Amino acid sequence: MIRLLLALLLLAVPARAQEALVAALSQDAVEVTTGFTGAQLMVFGSTDQPIGPGGDELLVVAQGPNRPVVVRRKVAALGFLWVNGPSARFAQVPGFYFIAGTRPAWQLLPEEQRRRHALGLDSLPLTSTGARDPRFRAALLDLEKRSGLWVEDTQPVEVAGSRLFHARLPLPAGVPTGDYRVQVLLVRSRQVVAQQTLEFRVDRVGTADRIATVAEDQPFVYGIACIFLAALAGWVGSVVFRRS
Amino acid sequence: MAAAVLWNPALQVYLPIAEMSVDAFLLVGIGFGVGWLSGLFGVGGGFLLTPLLILIGIPAPVAVASGANQTLGASVSGLIAQWRRGNVDARMGTVLLIGGFIGSVLGVQLFALLRRIGQVDLAVSLFYVVVLGTVGALMVMESARAILRRRSAPQRKLHEHYWVHGLPFKMRFRKSRLYISVIPPLLIGGGIGILSAVMGVGGGFMLVPAMIYLLGIPTSVVIGTSLFQVVFVAANVTLLQAVQLGTVDILLTLLLLAGGVAGAQFGAAMGSRLRGEETRALLGLLVLGVALSLLWGLLRPPGNLFSSGAAL
Repeated sequence: MIRLLLALLLLAVPARAQEALVAALSQDAVEVTTGFTGAQLMVFGSTDQPIGPGGDELLVVAQGPNRPVVVRRKVAALGFLWVNGPSARFAQVPGFYFIAGTRPAWQLLPEEQRRRHALGLDSLPLTSTGARDPRFRAALLDLEKRSGLWVEDTQPVEVAGSRLFHARLPLPAGVPTGDYRVQVLLVRSRQVVAQQTLEFRVDRVGTADRIATVAEDQPFVYGIACIFLAALAGWVGSVVFRRS
Repeated sequence: MAAAVLWNPALQVYLPIAEMSVDAFLLVGIGFGVGWLSGLFGVGGGFLLTPLLILIGIPAPVAVASGANQTLGASVSGLIAQWRRGNVDARMGTVLLIGGFIGSVLGVQLFALLRRIGQVDLAVSLFYVVVLGTVGALMVMESARAILRRRSAPQRKLHEHYWVHGLPFKMRFRKSRLYISVIPPLLIGGGIGILSAVMGVGGGFMLVPAMIYLLGIPTSVVIGTSLFQVVFVAANVTLLQAVQLGTVDILLTLLLLAGGVAGAQFGAAMGSRLRGEETRALLGLLVLGVALSLLWGLLRPPGNLFSSGAAL
C-alpha cells in the first residue's frame, strides 16, 4: 500500500513542485464498528529540499478531541485501607496525542517553539485545578501512554528517496470519537519553515453507533429494550439448553 | 477479511457503552462459569460477575449496571422453571418487591453520589467485602451446624417462631405457610434493593438466607420466590442505571448471557443431586472467598498509586 501511495504522490508532485511541503492522509474517516480493534493511518508527503541530517527535518503531530480528566492518588486511610485521596482535574486533555519526527522534537526546535505548537508530551499545555503536586501531571502522562492513547516517538518518520516521507499513526481500540487534527511541520535550522494541517474523523458506525446513540438520546427506551432483550435471551436459553 | 475475523480464536468485540474492545470468548466463558455456579446454587451469580468484570478492566459503573442487566436475564430462566413447579409465592414476592423498588431507587441515587465524589470503586469493594463476608461466614457456620445436627436430631418443626412474628400488619402467605407482618419482608426487600443497585447484583445470595432464617419461609419455595424478586428488582436497577447514568452496555450483557444461560442449566442439573446443607456450605465458602479476595485488593499496596477517569 505504501508503495502505491508513494507512486501516486510522485505523479502529483511535479504539479505542485513550488511548494516546500505537500502532505496527505491515507484516509479521512475511521469507522468504529462492533468489530473495531484499532486502526492505522498513514501520513505521507514530499518536500522540495532533501530531508535528512544537515538538511530539512519533519515532525508529524496529531491530536484528538479534548476531554476533562481527573487524576486521583490513592492514600492509605487508617494506615491500611487504600482509598482515592487527593485529585487534580485537567480541563483540556487530548483524547489522543501522537508525535513522531525524523528526529525527536527536542533535538529539532527550541523549547519556546515546541510549546507554541504543543510538540512533545512535555510541551503539552495541561493546566489543572485541585492538587498542585507535579506528580499528577507525570501520572497523567504515564497512564495515557500506557493506554496507547498518547504516543511519542515510538517510530521515526521514514524517508524514502530523500524527499518522500511517511509516518504510521496507530489508533488503539479505545480512541475517542470526534475530529482529529494532524500537523506536518517542516523544520529547517531550528525554525518551522512550512506546515500543513490535515484532518480526519473517528465515528461510530453501524450497530455500535445505533446502540450508543439510542442509549444517549433515549435512555428510557434503551433501558426498556435492555430489560426485554435480557429477559428474552434468558428465556430462549432456558428453552434451548433445558436439561430436565 | 471478514471471514478471517470470524474464525479468529480471540474475537475482539467493541463494547459501545464501555468504549473498549474485549475478547468475546472471554465474556462468554465468564458468563458460562458464573451461570454454572448460579444454576448450581440457585442464585443469580451477580456477586461473582461484577467483580470479575471489574477485574478484566470494565469500568466499575458499566460493570455494575450491565451486571444487574445480566442477572435479570439469567434469573428469568430459573424463574420460569420454578414457576412451572409451583415453587413461587407470588404474594410474598410482591411484598418483597415493593420494598425492593424503593430500595433500588435509593441505591441508584447513592451510586450517582459516590460517582460524583470519585469513590465508586472503594464503595463497591467495601460493600462487597462487608456484605459477602458477613453472609458467607453466616452460611458456612449455619450449614456446618446443620450437617453435624443431621446425624443426632432428625426432627424439625414446621417453622420456627422468631421475634418478627409479633409485629403488626399481618398477612397470610399461603404458599409459604406463614402468617406474619409485612414489615420484615418490606425491610428485607428494601435493603436488598439498595445493595443490588450499588453492587450490581440481584441479591439472591442474601435474600435466600434472609428468607430462611429471618422469615422462616420453607426451603422449597425460597428459591422460586427470591428469583421472582430478583428478576423485577434487577429490571428496575437496569432501567434506573440506563436513564440516570447511561452505563448499561447491552452488548456486554448479551455476551455474558450467551454463556450464562447454558451454564445455568448444566449447573441446575448438577445442583439437584446435592443436599441442601451441602449446597449452602459450598455457596457460603464461595461467597467468603470472593469477599476475602476483594479485601486483599483493598489492603494490598497498589502497584500504581495514581488512576485517572473521566471528569464529570
